[in-house]
Amino acid sequence: MDNLICKNCGLSTSKVDLKGISHICPGCGSSLETEVYKKENGTDDIQMQSEESRLYYPRFTGSANEYFKIWIVNTFLTIITLGIYAAWAKVRNRQYIYKNTLLDDQPFEYTANPVAILKGNLIVASGAIIYFLTYFYKPMYSAIVVGLFYLILPFLIFKSLKFIAHNSAYRNIRFRFLGNMKESYRIYIFYPILILFTLGLIIPYWAFKKKEYFFNNFAFGATANSFNGKAKRFYKIYLSAFVIFIISILILGFIFFTVLIKSGLTSADVSNKSFIMKNVIIAYALMIVVVTYFQQFIYARITNYCWEHSNLGSLRFRSTLKAGTLFFIRITNILAIILSIGLLIPWAKIRKTRYILNNITIMSEKELDDFKAFIESDVSAYGVSATEAFDFDIGL
Amino acid sequence: MIMFKASYFDGKRSCGLPVYINLQGATIYIQSEDGLPLLSVPLRECEISPPLGKTSRTIRFPNGAQCETVDLAAVETLWKNHGGKSLMNFVNCLESRWKMVGICLIGLVIFVLILSKYAIPLASKKIAFSLPHHLTDELSRSTLEILDYKYLKTSVLDDKVKNELKDIFFVLHEEIDPGSYYRLEFRKSPLIGPNAFALPSGLILITDELVEISQDNKELIGIMAHEVAHVKYRHGLRSVFQNSGIFLLISSLFGDVTSITSIGATLPTLLARSGYSREFEREADQTAGLYLIQKGWSTKPYQHILMRITKNVHSYPEESVFSSHPIAQERVFDLQKLEDNKIIKDTLIKN
Repeated sequence: MDNLICKNCGLSTSKVDLKGISHICPGCGSSLETEVYKKENGTDDIQMQSEESRLYYPRFTGSANEYFKIWIVNTFLTIITLGIYAAWAKVRNRQYIYKNTLLDDQPFEYTANPVAILKGNLIVASGAIIYFLTYFYKPMYSAIVVGLFYLILPFLIFKSLKFIAHNSAYRNIRFRFLGNMKESYRIYIFYPILILFTLGLIIPYWAFKKKEYFFNNFAFGATANSFNGKAKRFYKIYLSAFVIFIISILILGFIFFTVLIKSGLTSADVSNKSFIMKNVIIAYALMIVVVTYFQQFIYARITNYCWEHSNLGSLRFRSTLKAGTLFFIRITNILAIILSIGLLIPWAKIRKTRYILNNITIMSEKELDDFKAFIESDVSAYGVSATEAFDFDIGL
Repeated sequence: MIMFKASYFDGKRSCGLPVYINLQGATIYIQSEDGLPLLSVPLRECEISPPLGKTSRTIRFPNGAQCETVDLAAVETLWKNHGGKSLMNFVNCLESRWKMVGICLIGLVIFVLILSKYAIPLASKKIAFSLPHHLTDELSRSTLEILDYKYLKTSVLDDKVKNELKDIFFVLHEEIDPGSYYRLEFRKSPLIGPNAFALPSGLILITDELVEISQDNKELIGIMAHEVAHVKYRHGLRSVFQNSGIFLLISSLFGDVTSITSIGATLPTLLARSGYSREFEREADQTAGLYLIQKGWSTKPYQHILMRITKNVHSYPEESVFSSHPIAQERVFDLQKLEDNKIIKDTLIKN
């Protein structure tokens, strides 16, 4: 695979587009040239690991104790300011997670300006008020408002990805998101519409496109990440998840009804409402457990696959998330949060973040200090963020 | 003079350079490990990241370079010299003391309770009563359209019965809420069964099924008085506003954990919602009960029809914690208590 380099801004990427359309630099728009230096054969192979390549393990140093204090104080301030402080709280919470994520002993940084996020929040809030008023006075038109929301959602997602990337930095080099808005519209409007017509068969492909949109478009400074995953694998993952889902529903359903009948089910019980309620709750809880496993299985497999098929310059990644562990963490987190009336939210978040980060390995042929910043964004590093005000937690 | 170790990143490449930072007067001097001067910047032109837990801190220079250090004590002095009296300094003060965190937690609980118990209901009440009529009419019209489309059919009741009830209704609403606009209409609804609704515009709907199971017009008077009370006190609008308020409150509390919100936030919303509605039902029952007592008919007929509705509506959520109607038994009990108290009071006054 040849490396492409942009002479104008220094961006380098190993993205290969057979149609040759994307020989235009996604960063600055000038044309890309094939880098003189060529990689040895076989670099596409994940198994390939030259002996000199160094392994880096991200370290997560956040503590539930400390994060609890930060979370409580910031939630309190958010509530007493009737939500205005939420933007500052968001920056602080996120910064805590970033700063405690160390790679090669250097932390990540979240540099967003809270005022920019406040503006975004205000825009979203006014949208919600418009929806509420329409729903209230002209319920017939509220569908139109919802429709409009879905029309601007891809724009918001695109802006949000750009904003988050721009405000994430490592070793004083900012990340960037190079995706375009058209693609965002294709992914968040066109494919969801197709779901209906394809009876859901397109869902794995849609999941693939979403991941591709992210993994193929983020860049660290001047170095763009390239993603060589295939949709076929997503179909395999979804199929296995679906099979596990059906089998566990059948087994649990069988056990559930066997126990019910064994326990001496009488016709009086069936008409007894508290009896029905109790069993509905049990069945509902079992359903949550099965659905959670289904979600975590897909999340683990897809995340592992995507990282393993990415390379950021000479960096390669390995992710070793296990569906079972993620599932256990998730279920116990939900229980802990419910039983503690929300007080254990910070603990749950730290726990999950730690597990995910502890399972990522970064392999590099060179030292981590060889990355270049993207010059254009470097000049105007500050102040750019004001125009891109959205920061949503998108389930990537 | 302060001197401490840091890593220098120029912002152009990802390589870090171990450096010493040296504060002399109002200027910081950065020098490499072997003492070579690299940069000197007036302290006030630097941007220092606010303290946050035990995380490392960043000193940003005007040229885009930055220094990262774990020497928190040293940066703290720098920050103080810099005049770091920012909002985040105050926030950090709260965050780093368990006592302050405890106070914030208590404050949080108190504030949430005040908001959900008093502020939101009060604000909803104010807004509901200040809404102009043409707006509530518009809202009721569209709600009726939806109800008619989804659940209701044209009434098949005898016109004589309808007119008789309409006459009774006219007297009733003039006595409970004089001078306001009210209208009574009938609909058939096999789907809903015996029931009645009130829309904010003053339109009261009674199902044919309800008229059929009633044994006495006094029973229906109880129901009608209950519905008129809902309109008089604007319960419908108030519950819409209150529910939205609670929803906003909960989403701002748990907003940070989107994934958990789905389960975590719906439960408290449901609980709060049913709590409010129960209060409104009680208020409406009380109005109906007092009206019946005042007329000298006792609350008995109303009690009877309530019990009958419960038996007839199959899906009446008797034991559900989330039911918005207080359990029929409880409502009947409250009505009886109301009547007993009234009798005691009246006897006291007479004597």
